[in-house]
Amino acid sequence: MKIPLFRLILLACLGGLLLQPANALSLDDLKKKLEKAKTRVEESKKKIDQAQGKVSETEEIEIGGNLISGLLGAAPLVADAELQRYVNDVGSWVALQTSRKHLPWHFGVIQSDGINAFAAPGGYIVITLGLFSLLENEAQLAGVLAHEIAHVTRKHHLMALQKTMKRDFWGDVMSRAASDAGDREKLKALINSGVQLYATGLDRRFEYDADIRGVVLMARAGYDPFAFLDVLTTIDSINPGSSELGVLLKTHPPTAERLDRLAVGMDGVLDSFASGGINRERFRQIGSNP
Amino acid sequence: MKTPVSLLLFLLFTSSVLQADEQAVVIRLSPVYAEPSSASQSLGRIPAGTAVSVFERQGGWKQVFSEEKAIIGWMRAYQLRETINLPIDPVASQPDSRGFLSGLAAFSRKASGFFDSKSTSTSSGTATIGIRGLSEAEIKSAQADFVELEKMKSYASDARRSETFAQQGGLKPRKVPFIPGQNN
Repeated sequence: MKIPLFRLILLACLGGLLLQPANALSLDDLKKKLEKAKTRVEESKKKIDQAQGKVSETEEIEIGGNLISGLLGAAPLVADAELQRYVNDVGSWVALQTSRKHLPWHFGVIQSDGINAFAAPGGYIVITLGLFSLLENEAQLAGVLAHEIAHVTRKHHLMALQKTMKRDFWGDVMSRAASDAGDREKLKALINSGVQLYATGLDRRFEYDADIRGVVLMARAGYDPFAFLDVLTTIDSINPGSSELGVLLKTHPPTAERLDRLAVGMDGVLDSFASGGINRERFRQIGSNP
Repeated sequence: MKTPVSLLLFLLFTSSVLQADEQAVVIRLSPVYAEPSSASQSLGRIPAGTAVSVFERQGGWKQVFSEEKAIIGWMRAYQLRETINLPIDPVASQPDSRGFLSGLAAFSRKASGFFDSKSTSTSSGTATIGIRGLSEAEIKSAQADFVELEKMKSYASDARRSETFAQQGGLKPRKVPFIPGQNN
């Protein structure tokens, strides 16, 4: 009698030992634990992001809308709906070729003789009538817009802003901007310094980066990427002392240097895409009006 | 009968002119290669200001002939500037050209006065005259215009519209990897 009882107890104990961990590792529990760990990682990542001044996409779009409104205050849209829709058609098609195609992309032609184009975080892009008038075909327009699109997908302006703003200040602004009246002022200051960026320019490395990424986006969209070199060549042929080019040349690397780097980067890689579309006729039908 | 003959002669004349090479000037000291690739054999260099004839374009390259340097080879297209010396309107007669000449003509119409040429250097004094919208000062003092922002949003396209637009323009999306780069 003793032995079976002892055995029973032993069995029960062993069974308990064996069953206990098996219960703990049931699939549901494992899932729950993983979920918990995941949330914890995400939460701490968010905290780190906030501390480092990273902004959510919603915030990015809000900042961009404010920045572009500043530019629109200096130069309004050209009053030509057909032209504006066309530029949105070309730009959106190029933007569809990026990893951030889900952004609310907006494009516009603004009333300015200056030769330039601008991008704001979140997908806002404008080109001046001065630059648009120099273009010969749709591929060249796509090239200008692709360069700006690359600035947005790579968050160049956001990075520049974060660099210029103090880290804690940025985090503070982003976390409480909407609620606090005092922080509204800070947001205003942030947007103001963002608009200043259009006069002072980005890091020159960002410009080269946008150039080389832009031509790839053109090729993806089915355009001849070399059309962008034609745009730069045209710009390079204008008297650098002209007031129309003042801001562009001040905020970008020398045009000849951009051409050199692009040609080297594209060499042997994009040659096969030179047969891409130019769409001169479609461009001309639109472009003859403004 | 005279009219058709003269017309024929005219067409012959103009087409022969068009078939003749484009003329261009080398913008800066540029290497010339045996093939349209910088990996091919280098044939020498052509200095800035040299007049060349252009035979054809391939990608970002143009095949050129320099009588002065006795070289035929390939140069990067952007290192060349076409010179306008065609006797007829290139807009009407060259629908297949890349539009460079016509564009240059349109450009010179729109932007005459700020080409960088020695003869117009006296006009550089006008450079300080402000441009309409977006001078540095205007950007810095700009007041946000949210009415214009809403207008801008109203012109937005969407994925379906973009696809249709691309199809109508004969644009086919292609898979192209980013160029691994010196930048970032």
